[in-house]
Amino acid sequence: MLKLLQNEWMKLWNKKATWVMAILLVVGVAGMLGLTKWISTMEGNRAESGGVSVEGQAEAPDWRKQAEAEREGISAQLADPELSSSREAELKEDLQIVDYRLAEDVEPHGNYSRQQMIKDSSGIATFAMLFAIIVAAGIVATEFSDGTIKMLLARPVRRWKILTSKFTATALFGALLTLAGFVVSIVMSYILFSPDGGTELVVRGGEVAEISVWTPAISHLLLAFVNIIVYTTFAFMIGSVFRSGALAIGLSLFIFFTGSTVSGLLSRYEIAKYLFFSHDLVALAQGMTLIKDVTLPFAAAVLGAYAIVFLLVSYLVFSKRDVTA
Amino acid sequence: MANQTEPIVELKHLSKTIRGKKIIDDLNLQLYPGQVTGFLGPNGAGKTTTIRMMAGLMKPTSGEVFVAGKSVQNEFEAAMSNVGVIVENPEMYKYMTGYKNLVHFARMHKGLTKDRIMEVVRQVGLENRIHEKVGTYSLGMRQRLGLAQALLHDPKFLILDEPTNGLDPAGIREFRTYLRSLAEKAGVSIFVSSHLLSEIELMCDRIAVIQNGKLIDIREMKDEGRPHHYIEALPAKQLRAILESKGYEPAESEAGFIIEEGVERIPELVKSVVAGGLDLYAVRPHRKTLEDEFIELTGGGQIAETVAK
Repeated sequence: MLKLLQNEWMKLWNKKATWVMAILLVVGVAGMLGLTKWISTMEGNRAESGGVSVEGQAEAPDWRKQAEAEREGISAQLADPELSSSREAELKEDLQIVDYRLAEDVEPHGNYSRQQMIKDSSGIATFAMLFAIIVAAGIVATEFSDGTIKMLLARPVRRWKILTSKFTATALFGALLTLAGFVVSIVMSYILFSPDGGTELVVRGGEVAEISVWTPAISHLLLAFVNIIVYTTFAFMIGSVFRSGALAIGLSLFIFFTGSTVSGLLSRYEIAKYLFFSHDLVALAQGMTLIKDVTLPFAAAVLGAYAIVFLLVSYLVFSKRDVTA
Repeated sequence: MANQTEPIVELKHLSKTIRGKKIIDDLNLQLYPGQVTGFLGPNGAGKTTTIRMMAGLMKPTSGEVFVAGKSVQNEFEAAMSNVGVIVENPEMYKYMTGYKNLVHFARMHKGLTKDRIMEVVRQVGLENRIHEKVGTYSLGMRQRLGLAQALLHDPKFLILDEPTNGLDPAGIREFRTYLRSLAEKAGVSIFVSSHLLSEIELMCDRIAVIQNGKLIDIREMKDEGRPHHYIEALPAKQLRAILESKGYEPAESEAGFIIEEGVERIPELVKSVVAGGLDLYAVRPHRKTLEDEFIELTGGGQIAETVAK
């Protein structure tokens, strides 16, 4: 099996497109952070000319004012009688943190601080997902379209093993891109942004506690990777069932981009909870819910179930298929 | 020679139905070590389907294929480790070098070393270009690479689907010689499907003819059949009368007739034709080509001479 995986890995990296994707990822992530830096500088300049800030620092308006505003917002939401219990608990924790900040004078990280950039690094997952989808869509489909499938399957190797090696290679590629994007993002955060004196807070066991920004950064990255795997599995399934890479890429990206709109429209219905494109785990972890009553474990379970079904369909179709190409 | 040994490949009651249509109907066939068997049939007769079932690319609706006693359907890995396959225009990974392609396929078999890969590369004469991308190869070189990947694991049984498609005459000849020596020296059993009848005729010990999914004939190429002669004289009507009076059944061909007769009685026949006052133009031995027999067998079902599919 390891040899089959070696084969898939070799084929993958012998394609120019793979290298182009890897380079685009690095350039894209670095570019995004560069853009953020540029915007922060512009905002800083504007703030300076307005006379609010000193020494051209990208200082946001006083964090206390923001915290007060946030407090009011949370209170307003808590007043909603239809609020679900899980959401209510989340909001109460947020409120606890804001209260703590105001009472103990603990500043949060500024929007353009190095810490905030590190914390938000999981944003690179979109890039990784795009390229992982492209690879997943083509890894089976191109064997058919190039006619190499005949050479590949007329071997003393059962088909499920070949498909497993292909799926593993895809998942590894996704993981590699995610990791590479993360590293680039961290490096650029260190190069472009300076740290500030803020502190990251969480509620742990009813108490407010200080944590490092690395904790949310890494946990969000892992959650984002779960989303990547679900989408790549979908693309993998479409690619192996319909033997068309273009269809698989198109359909996956279409769902990725329109999914949240569709589930937003359906959000009042029960069904929305059970659609895989409704659940963005990172957003959920940050307390942004599209659909009521959806908790992180629930969303993860739905995504897991979808991934298993996608894989089962791929295996069934691939191992039964007559090769006529 | 071959029939005394055990068959290496056996097709038992092989049938395939696709969308309610019977493509292959109860096919039985045995292939022997050291023998090259040609597989002929008009387009759509089921050649490709049969070959794909033998190569494990398609599943039979019923029946089984055995290779070295192992069922391709039930003991896939054991059976396939004895099979080498070359499909028409061997499709390789164009973006990789020939060598990497071979490494790729070698990894799918047990215990193949780098030395073995290089040995096969030398056998097919690709040493000089093996580290170049397959995309830059000519068709002939791809064909060689195709042969190399099929021979890597020293298979006892080689399946070739339209192997000479796109090769130039010199390439075809070389390929043919190579296959013959594989069969004769290494005792490999070879199964070749082709549209090119003259090709099959030169390469094979035995031919199997398939039509409408059924095997309609298996014959050894060695028994040449009875000798024939071609005779042409004018007026043709009188010639026919003479031939019939002598008990022949003349078959019209070109401007004359073909009769079933050895060389012994030909002088006597010529004398009587000349004595009858006919103008004799030609008398020559006639060897039925495989094409003639093929058309007889399949009732003139279309034979595609075209290379493209």
